[in-house]
Amino acid sequence: MSSATLPAKMPPRWGHRIDDDRRVDFVGYLFVAFFSVPFFLFNILPVFFGIYVGFTRWSIIGSPRWVGLDNFTQAFNDRWVWVGFENVLLYGLLIVPSVTVLGLVFALFVNRGYPLSGLARALFFAPNVVSATVIGLVWVWLLDTQYGLVNHYFSFFGVGAIPWLTSTQWSLVGVSIASVWWDLGLAFVLFLAALQDIPSDLTEAALVDGAGPWARLRFIILPHLRPVLSMVVTLQLISTLRIFSQVYVMTNGGPGVSSQSPIYYVYQVAIVRNLFGYASAIAMLLFIGILMLTLLQRFILSERA
Amino acid sequence: MKITSDLSKQLLRGVNRREFLAGTSAAAFAASTPFIAARPALAAGPVEIVHWSWLAASDGEVWAKMIDAFNDAHKDKGVKIRMELVPEEQYITKVLAAAATGKAPDFGWGTAGKGAGMARDEVTVPLDDLAKKADLDLSDFSDASLKASRYPKYDNKLFMIPMDLMSLQPEINLDIAKEAGLDPTNPPQDGRMLLDWAMAMTKREGGKVTRSGIMMTGAGVQTTVTWGIIAAQMGFRRASDDLKTACVNPEAGKQAMQWVLDLFDKHKVSTRDVTDRYKAFGTGQGGIFWTGPWTLNGYIGQKLNFQTSLFPKVGSTLRTYSEMGGLELYAQADKGRLDATMQAVKWLSDNSFLWTTVGRGASPRKSILGRPDYKTAGAPWAVRGAFVDGMAFATEGEIPVVAGPDFTIYSGGNFLAKTLDGVWAGQTTIDQAMEQIQQQWQRGLDEG
Repeated sequence: MSSATLPAKMPPRWGHRIDDDRRVDFVGYLFVAFFSVPFFLFNILPVFFGIYVGFTRWSIIGSPRWVGLDNFTQAFNDRWVWVGFENVLLYGLLIVPSVTVLGLVFALFVNRGYPLSGLARALFFAPNVVSATVIGLVWVWLLDTQYGLVNHYFSFFGVGAIPWLTSTQWSLVGVSIASVWWDLGLAFVLFLAALQDIPSDLTEAALVDGAGPWARLRFIILPHLRPVLSMVVTLQLISTLRIFSQVYVMTNGGPGVSSQSPIYYVYQVAIVRNLFGYASAIAMLLFIGILMLTLLQRFILSERA
Repeated sequence: MKITSDLSKQLLRGVNRREFLAGTSAAAFAASTPFIAARPALAAGPVEIVHWSWLAASDGEVWAKMIDAFNDAHKDKGVKIRMELVPEEQYITKVLAAAATGKAPDFGWGTAGKGAGMARDEVTVPLDDLAKKADLDLSDFSDASLKASRYPKYDNKLFMIPMDLMSLQPEINLDIAKEAGLDPTNPPQDGRMLLDWAMAMTKREGGKVTRSGIMMTGAGVQTTVTWGIIAAQMGFRRASDDLKTACVNPEAGKQAMQWVLDLFDKHKVSTRDVTDRYKAFGTGQGGIFWTGPWTLNGYIGQKLNFQTSLFPKVGSTLRTYSEMGGLELYAQADKGRLDATMQAVKWLSDNSFLWTTVGRGASPRKSILGRPDYKTAGAPWAVRGAFVDGMAFATEGEIPVVAGPDFTIYSGGNFLAKTLDGVWAGQTTIDQAMEQIQQQWQRGLDEG
């Protein structure tokens, strides 16, 4: 290779010179524009417009009418907004620990390199690449009270037909089962990647010192997984608080409002009742709730880490 | 790809990367905005009337035939209808959005009484003058159908051309009736007889209902509409005639809630475990199922042995659920399109014999109902007749106010259904539910 000296500063090859030292690389801006313009139009702008609409009464037609904090006052007094928040916390209690624990267990299993672990890796991750709508439709069939496979297999153990999706007592559980199955893949992959990053000399040293599987898990594996654990719990928490597709497909928020999530209620208020201002106000309250919970959860986990 | 054409070589010769990118960007922009190129071409073709419909399954199939028939009849007349399917639950929002951008469809399918908001916002167009101009004979329509097409709170103008009338009537599984020793020529006519039939048709295993005498679901539309019909029969009114007071005679509404609960818990003739009521009745898991004429084609197709009868008088007055489908016109920047659209709607109404014999519901047109072949065309009268004759007492339609969707009794997910579901599940008391309904509905009426 030639050792010829390079100029101190290479000019951009396709740039427009605006003075001696600065060049504007239009091609670069063009590439950025392909993403940033739609991002601004369809993400940033709607966010600010949504905030504005939250302070108005508006049904798409005509101009939004400013009503100040009326929508927020109404939302605080709306029983079904609170039911939605209660439900989503219950969803969180059911889904987040299940996905985290099962994702870790499956990752530990595959990481051991048992026969067929390659196939298991594909199988565990597969549900995550299917859309939530498809997952919902499949589980509607599986959980049907009369002809569903789940109840069919339960009946072998003398368990009577459980109305997973049609009773107020079980509907949250029914939707959560489908959600766990769907979300598991991502947690599994993240844990697996983190497990493969743990230096093998640490576990080998532990083995030499006579540490058993439980001791290795507790003192070596889990401490190394903390950052990923924090990420998985955070992602899962946000995903659960925004749960919509499964609720929409599987129960329509019912029976009654027993499985209704806040986002589903926002959808109902906006799209079914055409109260866009009110729906925006509820969405903003949900955003604030998610933000606070996420910050709290990250604070707790990072403190421990 | 190897470039062989001299022209291509010429075009690409000397094009630097910046020019190439600029060219491809322009091409991409043009490709992403096809209307720029498409507009002149569209203008050069025949007049195209855009129609939005949410009718699906066998309904949609027959309606598509109606549109095809119009297009065939107008092949050489420079006009055609382009039909687009829009999901029912998003229909109104999409029409509003399209109207807000000045691109509303010319006409669409609506349910009478549910479009008060669109009438208020001047998205739907008043039709009295347009119908007159198009020579559509409004005197040929039943008074009830015209009344249902008007919004008293919005100058009582006509906002819909009625296309079909539907009611909920019982369908009876004849195999189950025969097995239970019942006489199908004398179906239930009152509440007592209905329960006797239901008892005889119900199958239980260890106290658990495995076949419902009366097909019901644990929540959703079937229980809500049943409550609505029975409550009306018992004297409950969702709104006073002047649309000022909600929940007239709430005690009757509460009695009706108890009547529905008793089907599950006291008489044990229904089970909450049914999820898909249509499928359950079709597979013999129910003896009596009150539903609408939209089920006929499916059950006839699967050779179910059934007949229909008139809804029994459970309360003091005979009433049942009523729904009217029709066509509504949406505001256009080019007012001339409204006349052309009304001409198309007139043709569809004048030629709605197929739709109201094979499609669904009874005809709102006196001339069609009076045709000698009206009873012999389409599905057999034994299954279709109750849906036509029963319109005489099908009075429980929509409440024509902006908050109308909160009032409808044929819904599994609106405010009413979700409130009542709490009662069926034992989470809400009957009194609490009625109080909530009263408050919300009163707010709805006050809104206009």
